[in-house]
Order: sequence, then structure tokens, then C-alpha cells
Amino acid sequence: MSKARLDEVRAAFLADLEEAGSDAAAVETVRIRYAGKKSGLLNELLAHLRELPNEEKRAYGRGLNDLKKEIEGSLAEAKKSAVIEIKESSGKTSVKGHARAVAAGGQGRIDVTLPGTPVAQGAQHPVHIVRRRIEEIFLRMGYDVEAGPEVEDDWHNFEALNIPPDHPARDDQDTFYLPQGYLLRTHTSPVQARVMESRKPPIRIVVPGRVYRRDSDLRHSPMFHQIEGLLVDEGITVGHLKATLETFLHALFSDDVEVRLRPGYFPFTEPSAEVDISCIFCDQKGCGVCSGSGWIEILGSGMVDPRVFEAVGVDSDRYTGFAFGLGLDRIAMLVYGIPDLRQLFAGDQRLTRQFA
Amino acid sequence: MIFDSDWLTEYLDGARNLDTLAKRLTDCGCLVELREKGDGAEKWDVEVTTNRPDAMNHRGLAREAAVAVGGQLLPLEFELSECDEDATELATVEIADPALCPRYVARVIRGVTVGPSPGWMQRRLLNCGVRPINAVVDATNYVLFELGQPLHAFDLDLVRGRQIVVRPAQAGEKLTTLDGEERQLDSSMLMIADGEGVVALAGIMGGADSEINDNTTDVLLESAHFDALSVRRTARRLGMHTEASHRFERGTDPEMAATACDRAAALIAELGGGRVCRGRIDVYPQRWEPQHMEFSVAALSAFAGLEVPPPRVMEILDGLEFFPELEGDQVRVSVPPHRVDIDRLPDLYEEVIRHVGYDAVPSQLPVLPTTPGHRNPNWELIDRARDAAVAVGLNEVMTWSFIEPETDELVGSQSLCPGEPLALDNPLATTQGVMRRSLLPGLLSAARTNLNQGERTLGFFEQGRVFDLEDGGPREHERLGIVLLDESGDAETRFLRLKGVIECVCGKVGLPDLEWKRGGEPWFSENAGANLATADGKTVGMAGLVSKDVAARWDLGTDVAIAELDIDIASEPALPRYEALARFPSVVMDMTVEHDGGLNYAELESATRDLAGEWVEDVSYVTRFPLPDESGNVRTTQRLVYRHPDRSLTQEEVNTEHSNLREGLAERLGVTFA
Repeated sequence: MSKARLDEVRAAFLADLEEAGSDAAAVETVRIRYAGKKSGLLNELLAHLRELPNEEKRAYGRGLNDLKKEIEGSLAEAKKSAVIEIKESSGKTSVKGHARAVAAGGQGRIDVTLPGTPVAQGAQHPVHIVRRRIEEIFLRMGYDVEAGPEVEDDWHNFEALNIPPDHPARDDQDTFYLPQGYLLRTHTSPVQARVMESRKPPIRIVVPGRVYRRDSDLRHSPMFHQIEGLLVDEGITVGHLKATLETFLHALFSDDVEVRLRPGYFPFTEPSAEVDISCIFCDQKGCGVCSGSGWIEILGSGMVDPRVFEAVGVDSDRYTGFAFGLGLDRIAMLVYGIPDLRQLFAGDQRLTRQFA
Repeated sequence: MIFDSDWLTEYLDGARNLDTLAKRLTDCGCLVELREKGDGAEKWDVEVTTNRPDAMNHRGLAREAAVAVGGQLLPLEFELSECDEDATELATVEIADPALCPRYVARVIRGVTVGPSPGWMQRRLLNCGVRPINAVVDATNYVLFELGQPLHAFDLDLVRGRQIVVRPAQAGEKLTTLDGEERQLDSSMLMIADGEGVVALAGIMGGADSEINDNTTDVLLESAHFDALSVRRTARRLGMHTEASHRFERGTDPEMAATACDRAAALIAELGGGRVCRGRIDVYPQRWEPQHMEFSVAALSAFAGLEVPPPRVMEILDGLEFFPELEGDQVRVSVPPHRVDIDRLPDLYEEVIRHVGYDAVPSQLPVLPTTPGHRNPNWELIDRARDAAVAVGLNEVMTWSFIEPETDELVGSQSLCPGEPLALDNPLATTQGVMRRSLLPGLLSAARTNLNQGERTLGFFEQGRVFDLEDGGPREHERLGIVLLDESGDAETRFLRLKGVIECVCGKVGLPDLEWKRGGEPWFSENAGANLATADGKTVGMAGLVSKDVAARWDLGTDVAIAELDIDIASEPALPRYEALARFPSVVMDMTVEHDGGLNYAELESATRDLAGEWVEDVSYVTRFPLPDESGNVRTTQRLVYRHPDRSLTQEEVNTEHSNLREGLAERLGVTFA
């Protein structure tokens, strides 16, 4: 009974001290309550000793002595850190949290299961994490990373890419127009044209960047991100394209994914291929992500159309090349399981924090 | 487009397994996206790419399917019996602009009774998503979905003068189309007119006045070929999109016009009990000429990276109706009229490659010089800024590149962008009407969003571009924006925390020595805002606690700290230079200066450094507090580190230096010492 009383006081003391933290005045209040000469609780407990039967006195006395030492020790410690705190506060150094931890728990055995003190750490946006991973893969294969303007002219965004005015393919890329014939680029492909206009083959580049289409629903956002690849040299073949995409997709996902090329259509490549990977979530058994098909559409690609070469001044008899492009947001959503594209642009720090 | 599986397989030899057929079609580029049960057949949603209008009908897709499964396309069979009456005496056709209408075929069917079409036809049309109307109209739709040729049936009695004139509209002309809408026409639009006025929009939709009705007995059937661009422009201009315009825009087969006309006439006569008049009225001023192309199988194989045997090349091109001829290694083809997408060698290569299959192409990595890849230097620096912000504990967010014009107007002129706003011609919403000239509006909205979600502290940044119109052209600038909100601290603490973050980031992008000057209104309160300038006076940043007005606009407190930096001028920071590590002890001395509020810390420290002797290794800020009296003066404590490179300093030596420095400061700045 009496032993329990000692434990009760110990617990109350520790709680009070913790609350006082590094506030010197509060620590003093705690000292008076427990170790005060006149009416401190320790005195009261000592008085109780006299009323105990002899056989209990010994154990109780030892316990009381331990408690007294503990309380005095903790108070001394707390006072010291409270003083440090005052000094440091004028030097803009806060040691508040630290001092409290020492005062409260520093005495006995450390509870090693307590959580570690959080360290402030930031995180990149998931789209940029994915972008940089992809850039790294291609840098290691000797590709340069290039950038270009988001406000484009019609030539680079459409005409140089074999999409003349009134071409039906313009329907698929609903465009935001700006004054003076400018527009917001609908894909990163114009940078292909810009690089080929200014540089001689061999060319190996990837181009990440922000793009815009006038479209908004669950699966479309008027603003999103792409990365584009281009390789031009003599004797480049469809087999080269296929191997490059396989190598890239294996590096990005895993060596186990299967890569499938399906014929497709893009005005700036001929032939064109849509590229699927075997579903990474269900082992091709069919799931919600692959809509039961076992395949996930991942990128578009093809051999550069000779018309594009001619438009940008590359000799189409001498050179061939391939190009490919994919949506970074889509990859981020796929890899991290983010359900809504628009969530990426809501400025919500709770989203980013998950990627620290 | 939706296909009826029964209709599709009707043109293929032998019974076909639908699963195999769907897979092979997908493999050769006609993705079968969805298969569902329809009436008497499966409904297949097939994604036919926009360059392949020839496959946007059952017979065209069957042609692909036949090659894909290695089968035969059965010939189109129908019987057309004509009566003795000569069609050319019942109506006339005239084309005013052959470039826009290279061919116009018409037939006349007389004595028709307009009633519903039979069940088999209705089922197929319904499976394809077309509502049956009457036997005549259904027959034209049926042939459209069968052969890809859009047709139109006029009630011949309602074609005034029994004459058809294909011509551009005249300004002010109007037409009420079949959907009941009255359309205003202009001279850029191609029309079908009769003896008195407009009766149809060429290639898009017929007019209500001449449509087939219950009393129709004589039908004039149109099967024409219109210029793709002309139809596309007119349809866009009128905001219309029909099955007919969809196909004309992508390119139809001029040779098919006659066959389709015969086929539809035969169907109408068969279903409506009429008689087809003798002969076609066929005005064909610009006859289609086949294009011949030639390539070597070796070149094709080199391009593909796969040896394709010549017989396989021949088999594929033959099935696709290119009439190939092989001579040695050379293949000579004639491009069929339905293939509007083929005019270069890679187009032909694609035909072979997609039917051979990408699976058959061996993977082979290209071999190029072993040069390392480089990041574009600016791109690299931008990532460096981003990394620095993450390293100080901030989370990266993205907000929209376009903002509300009203917000832009309010803050735009006070942003780092000197130019005029860049407004979108066709924004999705007025709230996204103009390209942002600053990251701050988006970030402040994000701050509000986060607080609404129950976040108590904020620490995030955005790296992105802002846009303006300058010197007559659009410009883009890279920016970094920061938002900080802590639960604790006074205004100065908050401001200095933000400043610490900025200093850290600026150091990483080669902008270490920016001058901080009070300013940045109306973003910031006049007590807690600064502009950041380079040595040559260019403002490249702003930072501070939001002003009352800004706080109110975004429903925030004035304790939110924000900043925006121009990182266009960032540069590769200089490599660190090693400095010899000190071998002798230092002496640390604090110095507390009393001065009036007019002297700012930067001036004090710069004077201290200037006057300090060569032994002073470092000067740093310790604290500042206002005097409790009414003088308005403050006391600022600096910490000085004295050290000699080659020996230990004595306390006396340091004391002398220190008191010389005090005197110097007193003289230069008029400060006193506590």
C-alpha cells in the first residue's frame, strides 16, 4: 500500500516535470511542490514513515530514499537545461525539445521503443521523381537531356512534325491558343524539331517537360508532363527501336516485364507503334489497372517520318531514326497507385510528404 | 468505330474464330478495344487510326482481317437490274469547282414505297449505333458502314429543276439541315444546290426540304467524292461532325463512289420495291490516277532490322490490293485508291512490318559513339534549386500554369515579371484564363487548400515557369516559390526562417550574395517584406510575410511567409576552394553596440568587417534587443573570432584590436557601447 503511494508520487512528479519542460519558473514550482523544505510532498512521505509498523519501515525507507534521490537529480538536471534554454533563446537556438527529453527520460533505462525525434525532410513531387529516374536511365545510355519552350509556334508543334493545318490529328490534340499565333505545346515533340534544326546527327536526346491540352476529366488534365526520346543516325532500324524500348522499360519497371509493340499511328513517325507492358500488378491474370487485358499501354513510338527530317533539314536518304514519348504523370500514377490525375496539381503537401 | 462481327466475317472465306480474329486485328494495328454481345452478333469497338479511313467500314476492316489471318476476302456480290428509263434524262449534275468535288455520281430510283427496312438490316445498323429511319435512308447508311462511301438520298420531286449543282455557297444563303438546325452559310463552304437554292451541305448533311418522306416515290441518290480539307473546314466552321464528314475529312475512295451508288440503288429497289433507272449520272472531271511505287526487299529488311522473305512481302501487299510485282529484289506496287495514307516508302514498309508483326523483329540495341550523356545546363541548375529546397525540408508541389485574370491583374504588376500578361484565346474556364506571371497566387491557394485539410504547418515550394509578353513576344522564366508557416515564433523569427531557407537555396544555384532591401508591397506587409537584388541592382526575388490584403484575399493569417525567386539567372556555383585548416586557437569576443533604429544590421556588419583588422576571421550576429527606455535605441551583439595563422594570440593583443575596432565603429557610425 505504502509502496504504491511512492510510485504514484513518482509518476505525478515525472508528469509535472515534463509539463514544466525548460521553463525555469515552472521547474521551480515543481521543485517546491515535491522537494520544498516546508510543505514538499517528500516531507509528507517522510512523516508517514514514522506511522508504519517496524517490519515495513525498512523497505519503505529504502524506496523513499531512492525516490528522493531521483527527484532531486531530475530537478537539478531540469534546472540546468532550463538555464541553457534561457541563454540560448537569445542566440536563436532552441534546445527546448532536447532538454525536456533529458529531464523526463534521461534518468533511468531508455525506452528504446519510443519514436525517434522527427527530422525535417522534404520530398520531391512524384512526377519529378519519375522524370529523374527516366532521365538517369537514358543518361547512362549516352542520351542528352534537353529542354524547350512551353509556349510554342505552330511550326514546331505541328507543321514540322507533319501535322499541317486542318490535319485531322489536330483533333486529338485540342490546343490552347495564345496571341500572335503562339500556342501552348501539346507535346514535347517540338523539341525534337528544334534540336534537329540546330544539331547534326548522330542525335540521342530525351526531352522532359510540361505540356497542355484543352481537355479535362478524370483521365485528362489540361496540363500534364511528358518525356520524349529521339535517336537519329545512319542505319537505325525498327529492331533498334524495339531493343531500346525494352531496355528502358526493363530498367524502369523490372527485367521481368514483357514489352509488346502494336502498330499505331502518329503523324510524325512511320511506322508507328503503341507500346504495352505486361501488367505489373496482376501478372497478366487481369485486374483493374489493366482493365482485365493483362497489358498496360505505356508509350507511343515509331521511326521518324522522312517528312519530319525534310522539314528540319536532316538528309532523309542518309539518316533514319526513332522517337518515342510517354506521360510522366501516368507513370507516376501507375507506379505509386495515385488514382486521380488532377490530385497531382492540387498543391497538397500531404501528397508529396508520402514520397520523402 | 463499332463493328458487327457477323457482318465483318461475311466477307471472309471459311468460318472464323472470333477470338483469333480479334487478336490478329489488334496485332496488325486495328485495336479491338471492347467486345460485347449485340443483337445476333458481337459488337466490336475497334480503334481505327485516323489515317486509315479505308478501314472505317466492314469491308475495309475485313480486307485487313483477311491478310491478318491469312485468308481470302470474298468478292462483293449484289445484283443490279435497271429499267429502260434513262437516268440522265431525269436529272442533271454540274460541278462548279472540280478541285473541291472531283467526282459526283448519281442514280435515280423510281416508284419506291417508303417503309421500314427489314429486320436484318435494322439489327446490323443498331449494333453499329445507327438508328433505323426508313428503308431508303437505312440503305444509304448500310452502304456507308459496308463500303465507307457516304451517300445521300434526295426526294427527286423536291429537287427543283431536277438539277444538281455543286458550288460554293453565296454569302447570306441559309439551309435547314436534317437535324432541324438552320445553318448560316458563307462562300468558303461547298454546297449542293438545285435549280433554285441550297439543298445540302456537301459531304456533311442533307437539307430538310428535300429529304426522303412518306410520300417519296422517286429517289435521287448521291455518291460523291469531296475534297477532305474543304469538308473539314466547313464542318468545323458549322460545329458539325457526322458519319459522312468524319470519312470525307479523312479521305474517301473516288473509285468506290460508283460501286457504292450501284450497291445502294440495288438495295433501295430491293427493299422499297422501286426500279433503278438505266445508267449512272457520273461527272468525274478529275479522274483518279494510280500512283506507282517501287522498293527493294533488301532496303525494307534493312529498315526493319529483319529479313523478310520476298514471298511474304508479296502475299501481304497482294492481300491489301497493292497489285505487287516482283522483279529480282524490286517490288513494284500500285497504290489502291482507298489508301489515302500511302505516298512514301516507309508507308509501304509499315504495311509489311505491321502484318509480319513487331514480335518477329529481333531486338538489337543501336551502336553509337560511347560519349556520355549531358543534362542541359539550365535544366541541371533548376534541379539543383529543387534539391536545395528539398534538403531544407520543403515539400514540392505543382499548381496550374494558368490563373484567374483578376488575380493576375491584382498582383501581376508587382511580380518579378516585367511584361504584359499572356492571355489564352480559348481557356477551358475563366479561372484559368491567363498564364501566370508569378508562382505566388497558385502557392497561396495551395496554402489555403492545405490549411482546409487540417494541416497546421506549411513548408512547401514549387519550381515552374511563369510567362509574359515582352518586346512583342512571349517569354518564359524559371521561378522558385516558397511557402512557410510555423506554429510558433514572432514575425522576425518567421521572416528569418524564410530568409535562412532562401540563403541556403541561393547558395546552391550560384546566387549567394543577394542584397536584401525592404520592399515587395503589396505582397508583404510594410514591416516584413524584402526585395532581393543582385550586385548590379536587378531584382531577382522577393520574400516576406503576407500583407493584410493578401492574407484576406486568400483567407490566410498574416503569419504566412512566402517568397519567389528568379532562377533564370542561376549559374553553376564556383567550386569550393580548400582553405588551410587553422592550427592555432582562436579568441572569441562579443561586442554589443548601442545605436538608433535607423542603422540596419547589414550596414553594421559591413562596417565591422571593413574596420576589423586582419586577425578577425569571422563576424556573426548574436542578438539584438530594444532598450527599455524611451530612446528608441537598440543594442546589437556581434561575435568576432580573432585568430592568427601562425601563432597563438594573447588576450592583450586581442583586447587592443577589439577596442580599436570599437573606436572605429563609434567614429564611423556614431554608435555607442554598453
